[in-house]
Amino acid sequence: MNVRTALDPRIVVPPPCRGLDMAAGYGWVQSTAIRAAGYLFVSGVVAIDPESGERLNGTVTSEAHRAFQNLKLVLESAGSSLERLAQVRAMIYDRIEYDALNRVYRQYVPNGPPARTVWSVEIMDAFKVQLDAIAVA
Amino acid sequence: MPVAREIITPQNDRLNVSRNLNLPHSPGIRAGNLIFLSGMLSTDPTTGERSPGTMAHETRQTLTNMRHMLESAGSSLERAVKINVLLYDMLEFDNMNRVYREFFPKDPPARTTCGVQLSAGMKIEIECIALAG
Repeated sequence: MNVRTALDPRIVVPPPCRGLDMAAGYGWVQSTAIRAAGYLFVSGVVAIDPESGERLNGTVTSEAHRAFQNLKLVLESAGSSLERLAQVRAMIYDRIEYDALNRVYRQYVPNGPPARTVWSVEIMDAFKVQLDAIAVA
Repeated sequence: MPVAREIITPQNDRLNVSRNLNLPHSPGIRAGNLIFLSGMLSTDPTTGERSPGTMAHETRQTLTNMRHMLESAGSSLERAVKINVLLYDMLEFDNMNRVYREFFPKDPPARTTCGVQLSAGMKIEIECIALAG
């Protein structure tokens, strides 16, 4: 018997719709998500139109809604869900919008929300919100 | 049975930045089937000194060192599942992305990029979670 167990599989999750293919549409060198070791590691999600791939820059409120809906599409296409999120880094462009983020955020994870850190950072293409997530596969 | 937790160190001692600079973190931790690396800055593997330069240079040096770190632990860049890229300025995204692509030609890991203030005037810091061996 081989002492070494088989390598844990590393599965590339394809984009759930054309617009969310950031590698093809924007040249970002990343897979939509990777499934490994029982987890789903998701690339940073921003407010992109899932069909056209167009940037939907707007307010923190509008971008957070779109980002959460896109994250939901990615998670569900991989057999997971928002309820199975383990850890989220919610990034916003300015700390002053913390409450605006929270108002939207709580609608998507109403019960037993995931562990979370909010970072105030500069986001690609002047987006105001980015969601970085790890979920249980 | 509890999941094993072990400290990961690079084969090249010069790249053991946390020990060499007496910082309170490990180069990486292996926990079960996953490896969590500390954020890495551009370091000269021959001297252990920081190696600041252009975004292209710092990206290439950091990913070269990350490859060494993962291979020291029996893993590899191909086994990376999640990368976080921290840039000092998002205007340099394309300069990072161009070099980054050379290291991940196929099925790249999930990635999140953001712009933050980095220590010591460095331009890029990279974090990684990878599958073990």
